[in-house]
This record gives sequence, C-alpha cells and structure tokens, in this order.
Amino acid sequence: MKRVLYALGWLLLATMSCQCSDGDNDNPNNPDPQTPDRALFVVNAGNYNASNASLTIYDPEGNGYDNEIFAKTNGYKLGDTAQSMSIHNGLGWVVVNNSHIIYAIDLKTLKEKGRITGINSPRYICFHSDEKAYVSAMYGDKLTIINPKNYSVTGTITVPKNTAITNATGSTEEMVLLGKYLYVTCWSYEKNIVKIDTTTDQVVGVVEVGIQPTSLIADRNGKLWTLCDGGYEGSPVGYEAPTLCRINPETMAVEARYTFAKGSYISKVRINGTGDQLYWLNNGALYSMEINDSSLPTSTKIEAEGYLYALTIDPKTNDIYVADAIDYQQAGIVYRYSASGQCICSFYAGVIPTEFCWNN
Amino acid sequence: MKRLLYTLLLLLMVGTIQAQEGIDSLIDIDEVAIVGRRAMKQIGVQRTEFDAVALQEHIALSMADVLTYNSSIFVKSYGRATLSTVAFRGTSPSHTQVLWNGMKINSPMLGMTDFSMIPSYFIDEASLLHGSSSVSETGGGLGGAVKLATRPKEYEGFHLQFVQGIGSFSTFDEYLQLGYGNNRWQLSTRLVYATSPNDYKYVNRDKKLNIYDENHNIIDQYHPTERNRNGAFKDFHALQEIYYRLTDRDRLSLTGWYTGTNRELPMISTSYAENEQIENRQREETLRALLGWEHIATMGRIAAQAGYIHSWSAYDRRITGAGMSGEEAGSESNGLPDGTMEYSRNRQHTLYGNICGEYLPSERWLFSGEMTAYHHINRAVGKEEISNDGTQRLGLDKERTELTATATARWRATPWFGVGLTLREELYGEHFSPLIPALFLDGELIRGGKLVFKGSCSRNYRFPTLTDLYFQPGGNPNLRPEKGWSYDFGMDWRLSNPKALSFDGSLTWFDSHIEDWIMWYPKAMGYYTPANVKKVHSYGIEIESNLSWKPNSNWLMALHGSYAWTPSLNEGEPFSSADRSVGKQLPYVPEHSASATLRAGWRRWELNYKWCVYSERYALSSNGASITGTLDSYALSNISLARSFAFTWCDLSLRGAVNNLFNKEYVTVLSRPMPGINYEIFIGITPKWGKGRN
Repeated sequence: MKRVLYALGWLLLATMSCQCSDGDNDNPNNPDPQTPDRALFVVNAGNYNASNASLTIYDPEGNGYDNEIFAKTNGYKLGDTAQSMSIHNGLGWVVVNNSHIIYAIDLKTLKEKGRITGINSPRYICFHSDEKAYVSAMYGDKLTIINPKNYSVTGTITVPKNTAITNATGSTEEMVLLGKYLYVTCWSYEKNIVKIDTTTDQVVGVVEVGIQPTSLIADRNGKLWTLCDGGYEGSPVGYEAPTLCRINPETMAVEARYTFAKGSYISKVRINGTGDQLYWLNNGALYSMEINDSSLPTSTKIEAEGYLYALTIDPKTNDIYVADAIDYQQAGIVYRYSASGQCICSFYAGVIPTEFCWNN
Repeated sequence: MKRLLYTLLLLLMVGTIQAQEGIDSLIDIDEVAIVGRRAMKQIGVQRTEFDAVALQEHIALSMADVLTYNSSIFVKSYGRATLSTVAFRGTSPSHTQVLWNGMKINSPMLGMTDFSMIPSYFIDEASLLHGSSSVSETGGGLGGAVKLATRPKEYEGFHLQFVQGIGSFSTFDEYLQLGYGNNRWQLSTRLVYATSPNDYKYVNRDKKLNIYDENHNIIDQYHPTERNRNGAFKDFHALQEIYYRLTDRDRLSLTGWYTGTNRELPMISTSYAENEQIENRQREETLRALLGWEHIATMGRIAAQAGYIHSWSAYDRRITGAGMSGEEAGSESNGLPDGTMEYSRNRQHTLYGNICGEYLPSERWLFSGEMTAYHHINRAVGKEEISNDGTQRLGLDKERTELTATATARWRATPWFGVGLTLREELYGEHFSPLIPALFLDGELIRGGKLVFKGSCSRNYRFPTLTDLYFQPGGNPNLRPEKGWSYDFGMDWRLSNPKALSFDGSLTWFDSHIEDWIMWYPKAMGYYTPANVKKVHSYGIEIESNLSWKPNSNWLMALHGSYAWTPSLNEGEPFSSADRSVGKQLPYVPEHSASATLRAGWRRWELNYKWCVYSERYALSSNGASITGTLDSYALSNISLARSFAFTWCDLSLRGAVNNLFNKEYVTVLSRPMPGINYEIFIGITPKWGKGRN
C-alpha cells in the first residue's frame, strides 16, 4: 500500500510541474518522500545564520519533486548554509557549512545514517575510496581527511596560502580526483590550484591561475578547467578581469586562458556527461562552449528569466538545470532545459538553491 | 513678573518646556479640562508615552524590554544583552530614528539602534512618535521615532540609591545612583553593571543527537537539552548629569553617557561546533556627551546644544580545532589568531550641534525653528583590510556632514481646532532632500478634550547610511534615498472621574507608502550589496488605552493595553515572473501585536503583570508555511511583586520577578531559542540624610 501511495504521490507531482516560468507548482505533498532510482538533489543554502538550509529531491523521469526532505524525514533541521552534496556507496553526504557538520543520508529512505563533526566551515567533500575522503574549508589553509566508514577525522593537509595579504586564513574549495592526484582550488582571497598526492597526502604541485579560482572540473581529455572570478575593486587580493583557464594536471601549467570583461560576475563552471561541453554563469546568464573552442561565446546558451545562481548538467541526457535565487529570501526556482536550450519545466526548491547532486 | 508667569503658563500649555515634556503632557490633560485647551505642540501628533513605573520597574530592564511590554511596536531580539531592534508600522529598524536628549543616536554606519544597549534606568522620559509625528523632531523616521531623555531630579542635599539584582543563570545586576542638589545645582551619577554567563537551558528542537550501537548504526535519536552557548555578557553603563540654573530663565546642562560592553554572540541552534572551538564576541565602547543651554524668554524659548559621540566596536569570530589550523590552533600569524574567520573594528566620531527656538506671539500661534548639524567620521576595517603594500583595501573610511533645518507653525484657530505645518530640509553630504512637509490637525469632537480628532500627513526621506553607500566590498554609491508618504488619522479620548476612575486612549488608522526601500542581497562573488528594490505599502490600526482606578489612598489599579494590526506589503516590481513576494507581508513583521500591563498597588505592595503577544511571522518574503520559514506566534507573561519599607534612616525595597511565567518555548529570530521561565530578585536601599530623614 505504501508503495502505491508513493507511486501515486510521484504521479500527482508529475502533473503539477512542467511549466517553464510560472510559480504554481509549489506545493509538493508527498507524504512519504523516497528517492526514485535516479534523482537530482538540490542543495539549498538558506540564509546565513537563519538555519533554513534544505534539501530538494527531483525526479527527472517523472518530474515529481519534494522540498525540505531532510527535515521532513528526520524530524530536525538540516542546518545553516548548506553548501554541497556528494554521493558515495549509496549514501548522500551533505555538507552544511555554518553548522560545521556533514550528514550522511540513505538515498532511499533519506534518513540520516551518520555524521561528521569537528570540521570548521566545511564546503565540499571528495571521495577517494570507501575509507578516505577529503573535505575543503572556507576559512582555513587545510583539507581535512576523513574516514567515511566510521565517520571520523583522520588527518589534515596544509596547503599554501596567499602570503601577500595580512591575516589571510587560506581557503580550499572545489576538488577533482584524477588518478592518484587530488586537485583543489583555493578561492577566498587566494589564487592557486593545489595538487596533492593521495598516496602520501602531501602537496606536490601548485599553480597560480588567477585571482580567486572558484569551481573546478575535468574534461574528457583529463584537463582541468577553472573559473577565476577576478576579485572586486578594492579587494586586497587584487582586481582583474575574470578568466576561464585550462590546466594541464600533469605539468600544472595553464595551457589556455579565456578572458571575460572586467567586472563580470563569473561562477560555476560545469561540464556535460561526455566531458566536451563547458557551461558557466556570467552575470546571471548561462553560457557554453566546446572544450576545443578558441574563443568565448558571445551569446547566452538559453534565454532564462531572472538572475541564475546555480547550474548543473544532467550527465546522462545533457539537460541543463539552472536555479534563480530570486530575492534570496524566498524559495528559489529551478529551470530545466534540454541540451539544445528548450525549456522543459520548472519547480520551486528551497531558499538560495546553490548546488546540485546527481544520483545515477 | 506677571508677564513671565503668563509666558510660563503658555509654555506649559504648549508643552514646549522640553525639560518637562512628558510630565507636562500628563498634567496638561487635566489642565485642558480646566482651561479647555490642549497642548499646542501636540496638535495632530500621534505619541505614546511611557511612565516612570514602566521605565524603572527594575534595573535589569533595557529599553527593548520596556517597548516590548508597553507598546505594540515590534521588538526583534536575540535574547538578553544581544541585538534588539525596534520597528514601527511594518518598517525596518533603520526606519526608526532614536533621539537621546534631542541628539540622534542611530548608528551612522548601520542606521539602526540596539535597544539592548540602553538600560531603562538611565531614561527618565521616553515616548514614541508614530509616522508623520516624527518629522517635527527628526528626519528619516519613515516608521517613526523613539525619544529618550534624562531629566534633572529635584534633590535637596545628597541622595544615594543602590540596587542589587540576582537572577537565574548567575545573572547579577548592580545599580548605584549618587545625587546632590540645591536650588542651583543638580548633580547625578548613575552606574549600571550587569554580568551573566546567560547559559539558560532549552530543548533544542532544531537538532537531534544520535545513539549508536557498537557498529556505529543509529539506533535512536533525541532532541538534546542544551545550554545557550556563548551567551555571556558584561555590560557597564555610566551616566553623569550636571545641571546648573544660571537664572530663573537660564539653565545649563552637561550630560555624559558611557557604555562599555563585552558580549558573546550565542551560537545558532543548529551549530555542531564544540563550545571550546568558538569565539564569537562583540565589544563596544561608546561615549555620548551633550552640553546644553536653555533660555526661557518673555515670548518663547531658545536652546542650544553641542554634542559628541565616540564609538568603538569590535567583532571577532574565530574557530579553532580540526580543519582550521591543526596543531597551530590558537597561535598567531600576521597579527591575528589563526582561525579568525571574521574580524572587524569600527570607530565612529560624531560632532553634533543644534539650535532651536520657539516663539509665542499669542496664545493662538506657536512658531518654532531648529537647525541641526552632524558630522560623522567613520572608519571600519575587516580582516583583510591591509595588503602587504600597506594600502587599505576593504572596509569604510568616510566622513559625512548632515545639516537639517526645520520650521514649524502651529495655529489654534479656535479653542477646539488646531492646525500645524512643518517644513524640513536636509543636506546629507552633497545631496539635498526635497522639501519635506508635514501637516497636522486636530479638533475636539466633544469639548473638554473628551474626544479629539487627530490627523497628519507627511512626506519623508531616509538617506542611505555610509555603509550602504561606501562599504567595501558591496557598497553602492548610486543608491537613492528611501522615500515615503505617510498619513494617519484617529481619535483620542479621555473620560475621567477625578475622584477615582480614568479611561483614556487612542485609535489611529495609518497608511504609508515607501519607495526605493534599500535591501542587501548576495552577489555571486560572496559578498552582499544594497539596491533600491522594494516598494512597501503598510497600513493598519493602532489602539492604546489606559484605565486607572484609585478608590482610596491605599489602592491603585492601572491597566494599559495596546494593539496594532500591521499589514506591510511588498508592492515592488517582481524580480522575475517567478517572484512570489509581491503582495506579501514583509519578513519578520507580525501582522498582529499586542501588549498589556496590569499594575495593582496596595499600601506598600505593588504587583506588576506584563503580557505581550505577536502573531506568526514569516522568514520568507513569499510568506507561505514551511518547516524552516515560519516563526510561530507566541504570548509571554512576566510578573513581579514588590514591597517597600520606610525606616528612619533609609528606604528599602524588595522585588521578585518571574519572567516567561508560563515557560513558553519561543523564538523571535530563527534559530535563536529564548530562555524559559526565569527568576530575579532585587534589593534596593536608599539612605536618608538631612531633610530626607524627616
């Protein structure tokens, strides 16, 4: 019976969405939220110090979705300023930055399976194996090494920090694992990408890519791509035109650099499932180019309303998902587009949708 | 002499003796009944006053507490000794202007005032000026203004009072007042010192802790009972007043108010950081000084003030432990302890000057004018302030001069009808405001002040703060001033049987429109920036009423109640078609709020019962219920019982207070649980010397 209700719930929800720009599909009412076999999780950061972070689940096949699934399932709040989610071995790991906690949830029941505390200001988690993962931190020149199996902190790795600034704390952000090497961007008031040998957990390479490298992905050729946001006027780390950089992970050399107009707000470089098409946000609009293109595109990929804040590409279908936080004080909206840029549907998530995570 | 007396009587009626304004208005009402005229200065003015009993019930109260239980305006508080802001009529805290002895004390950087920093024992007179009524006193009060004042006592000889308070959570409050007075001098020193770890217990509904089996499987979960973590405070306040009567017509005053606070900022309810990992602390030292002169002339009054404010504040947020700096946690590099996440130092100097005059050519006309100057010097620095080349990069380092000129004419056309017009011009930096007009009128519907119609309307502006304009990163120098139109009208009534019963009150309808409302929102770069984005329409009803009964010299009963219905709706342009905030109630503004106090006195006993209620508030601009976006309605009750004793050598008072009488679990801000039932006792002693002993 429960299964029938569950199926009916998703069916009902499926009929409530699939409008690309309205706001009526807001009241998901699945009494027993469970994840479908394939699901998209939306990590909603919430407002700083308001503890209104939340998790949204979306079924890309049936278009059903449900909000605040962590709180509904577990009976307590997700916390303050959720930043990211990663999946490993059937568990979803949700990093809640200002609650200083990482929750592991069962992807079927959405119930908590365990938690890791004692890490300051965690941002992203990158899995190396069943017994080893790395956690980056907003305020710190450290990566924390954890053992996901027993939810324990096992060590730290110090990365170089910007010595040109008084009182810099250092910062570690997004990570990519290529073979035995882990690459991490150093974002806040930093300029580097750092290479770590995961067999020794030692820093083995550093490259200065530009002011404040944010996101990091690898393409199908095994090359790294990052966006340097360029800082802002008056920033102690400097102010320059933002750049998109391709880095050779072996030599740690910047092989290509694409420069945006100074003052552009650049964020979230992402890549499609086949690893050959890049996407990013510039001043709230979506842009895209092939990894072999020689210059930046001049027009947007999609004509989306609002100011886009978050982005993901379906690794199987290449559908594009973008989120608008609207006024940052209400539930943001997620728009789904086909790879060719046709609007498919939209749904309201939580406050400030900031990251996505694919299960299968 | 006769002429002087006539002038003084006129001044009394028009309520222009600023020094006694609050007291006068209480007296005025009786005077009105006799002479058939109401205070000219109050023509059309919507004002709420607080009496001495409310202000000085006990020493642990801040002005935030007084406003919570004695008015219907919304006090948003994070708990005792933490940020408490006040908002009128559905506006924001920066739309409430706060005057202390005439000088504006809103932070020029942030625009708002923290009422938890104002001990109510330092305030002798307090009143609220709602909406348009604030225009005659100050600009920028799109919601209204709070007037606070100290007044000379009437000491003859020496005076000393000491009160010791002891409360739950190891809270100690001390109050000392020293005074001396004769027919020329009045000196007063007041000191308040309050300390507490403030570590009250609460059941944390936002969290669960896990119980594991030996294989680290979760077998049970529970909401933990936690203590308020990082909530300790040490507050010291000193107020020095010197008044000197030069002549019968001239008085000099010098007032200095020092505040030194060292407060931890409590951790949010969803933080899993360990106590010892957290350092989250705010310190402030503020000195406000005012030199004043007042002269009562034959046909009016003239006064001048010079003031200075120095404020230094520091905020440090620091975490040590795993993931931060490992083995070096707690060490210092580059001048700051490792693990410093946030660091700011703010310094503000404000110079103030004011000259005002009032002229009464006849009992039908009152003209008044005022010129005010402020010069603010602000410097704010953050953690990454200085790059190694020594250049300041972030924060704020700005000065601004603000000049205002105000002219008001009030005309009592007939004994039962009056009208007033205020014109105001402001210069902020290089920007002039348009002429700001405010029109007031009132008329008696039933003679003798029993039923009075009041109305007012005004245009108003609030200039962006220095932080809004210039803070790096994020400041937006292109911001426009916030603009508002405000209208209100209503009735005042007063029914009294002079022997025993009196019933007075007011009912007001208000309606205001604010355009170019400034809101801060995050940029992709990780910082916030302000923009003129909202248009807000707020309207509603305010009701206040007092009922007092004094059947004989042994008994006194007084009931005060207030209620406000405050729809405050966002009518701005939607950000996009997905924006669901248009037409919705502003976040954190309760649509309904009410308070009531009941006082009963019998001989030397006094019972105070205070109650307040706020309706549900939304944390989201789109309203709508959600697990994380709604703050439940709540009602709170406090009660206190006091007994005074008169001995030959001293007066003694004992008071016991119970706060949150029904142990209500509540929050006024998301993720900030407030204390449950808690207790305080106060012992006061006032030695008698000289005449007092008789």
